[in-house]
Amino acid sequence: MTFDVGLVFGSIPKMLVGLGLTLELLFLSSFIGLALALVTLLMRISGRWFLVTPAVVYIYIFRGTPILVQIFVIYYGLPQFEFIREGMLWPLLREPFWCCILALSLNAGAYVSEILRGGVLGVDKGLLEAASALGISKTHRFIYITSPIAIRLSLPAYSNDIISMTKATALASTVTLLDMTGVARTLVAQTFAPYEIFISVALIYIAMAWMIQKGFGMAEKRMSRHLKPTAG
Amino acid sequence: MKLSGNRLAQTIANAYTVVFRGTPELLVLLIVYFGAAVTLTAIAQSFDASIKFIDVPPFWAGAFAIALIVGAYMTETFRGAFLGVDPGLVEAARALGLSKFQTFVYVRIPQMWRLALPNFGNHMLSLMKDTALISVIGVEEIVFVAEMATTVTLKPFTMYIVVALIYLCITSVITLAVMALEKYANKHLAASR
Amino acid sequence: MSEQESIIILENVCKYFGDFKALSDVNLTVQKGERIVVCGPSGSGKSTMIRCINRLEEHDSGRIIVAGKELTREVKDIDAVRREVGMVFQSFNLFPHLKVLDNLTLALKLVRKTPKSEARQIATRYLERVHIPDQADKYPSQLSGGQQQRVAIARALCMNPEVMLFDEPTSALDPEMINEVLDVMVELAKEGMTMICVTHEMGFARSIADSVVFMDKGEIVEAERPDVFFNNPSNERTKLFLSQILTH
Repeated sequence: MTFDVGLVFGSIPKMLVGLGLTLELLFLSSFIGLALALVTLLMRISGRWFLVTPAVVYIYIFRGTPILVQIFVIYYGLPQFEFIREGMLWPLLREPFWCCILALSLNAGAYVSEILRGGVLGVDKGLLEAASALGISKTHRFIYITSPIAIRLSLPAYSNDIISMTKATALASTVTLLDMTGVARTLVAQTFAPYEIFISVALIYIAMAWMIQKGFGMAEKRMSRHLKPTAG
Repeated sequence: MKLSGNRLAQTIANAYTVVFRGTPELLVLLIVYFGAAVTLTAIAQSFDASIKFIDVPPFWAGAFAIALIVGAYMTETFRGAFLGVDPGLVEAARALGLSKFQTFVYVRIPQMWRLALPNFGNHMLSLMKDTALISVIGVEEIVFVAEMATTVTLKPFTMYIVVALIYLCITSVITLAVMALEKYANKHLAASR
Repeated sequence: MSEQESIIILENVCKYFGDFKALSDVNLTVQKGERIVVCGPSGSGKSTMIRCINRLEEHDSGRIIVAGKELTREVKDIDAVRREVGMVFQSFNLFPHLKVLDNLTLALKLVRKTPKSEARQIATRYLERVHIPDQADKYPSQLSGGQQQRVAIARALCMNPEVMLFDEPTSALDPEMINEVLDVMVELAKEGMTMICVTHEMGFARSIADSVVFMDKGEIVEAERPDVFFNNPSNERTKLFLSQILTH
């Protein structure tokens, strides 16, 4: 058995065909997920039981179940119901692409809202007290004091989550989508060279993860420049 | 390996973590499963050319793949926990005359366990959820069984929701267990009020 | 003297933290322009008392009246009181992500809706008053502890409060920086600011206070003019406390 290194690198261009779909899945679900996460976060910290409870339940369900199951429930499961098949959203919900986006976004929303909540809890209480003492209202405290600091605190965990999302997009291949992993599986079926093909696609994923990490590292550095050690 | 001063060992260990944390779990699974099949077939063919194909038991391929992935994340957690032990404690232990090994067992490990616990719990949860992926290569775990059941009952939603609930129960149990362990590990801290 | 109104009145104030009685029937009256120093062992309730005055803590019974407004659960009342009361914290609590000048102008812009240029002018004036006008564009982390605390004082002053509360303002400072902060506080006192100051700095109390209040176990044990307080305290607990802190 020979290991065809040429095949590894030769396959990369073919894999990039799937890259477009992978990136679409990643960006769209990250974006929607972030919006969902913000809403969920506000509900979660509102203190009102009728807002907190649904938020907690949502987070619990989507963090407690595998993404694969979530995708299957939406893609294979929803068509079971007539009202879905007859409903307005059917043209969207029958497409594996939108089912994946839905599943990935809901998943992202749950995880990211917890990450943001960690950031919010990490804000020094003394700062909020000082703001109260100055007469600054609760809303203003949240916008001007809590949010900037919480965002900076959340960045490391958020970057990890984005990397997880990138990997989760590979699951789209289980519902027939031709993202990078989907393309890879097709190629393997044609060439019977699983190692070479899968390794080359893995290389692309690793490169993406590395770039995301570097990107966030730079963002973190920028946001922390006011934390230089005391000059005096 | 990562903590050893040895540069080569560090590089290999770093590569291991980078590869397995950057690659989708599904992909690792597929590589291990199909790759193992190809490798074993090739090895077998070198002995007996008439063998067409060796089928790797998907269960073991899956288990091995998940072990590799979780291992990569765990090394980071353990490394963090190791570095998080207060060096003052280690110094005190050595000053009292404990050997390196004794320090490791009696001072380092108890501290590390407490620090590693939350992340360890998270890894256990991910591990649980990754097992769902094994259904993709045909292992008869619950997602796979649900797929089979769907063809009979024609109610995919119900089937998969049941699967989701089962996972939810398992993850809840793990989460509660971790919370209880955390309380136990930190009881000496809480008592000082 | 008879024309001076009481600017702060605490009447039979009690506060519990769970089962623990932090404040026990506290009665205190502060006149406009008075300088009060509060001292006592840790856990005596001194911080709790002044934090009740601007509602950072809620009192459980009794009345608190600040500048004629009573402190109740109503947000309107709380906000009205906080406008008149400025606070300086032991840990400074400067907003780390904002430059010094922005730290000062934030509340002006958000609470008093002061336009930007006017806010900058006010802020610069107060920075000059605490003797650090050149630090306006720096971040708090770039300043020394003493400078940070002076910025904190300026920040509270920008809102033009009637009363200034100080919660152990120098306890977190290195010794060589304590004086620069105390000097600013003395200047403030000389200008007539009403102040309540929780501190261990007895020299400061002796020179500037109109009244020294000793608290222990949630009660006000003794409140006297400094010369009487330090030389001839009447209560045994006061004497004990003074002997503990004044020996070194």
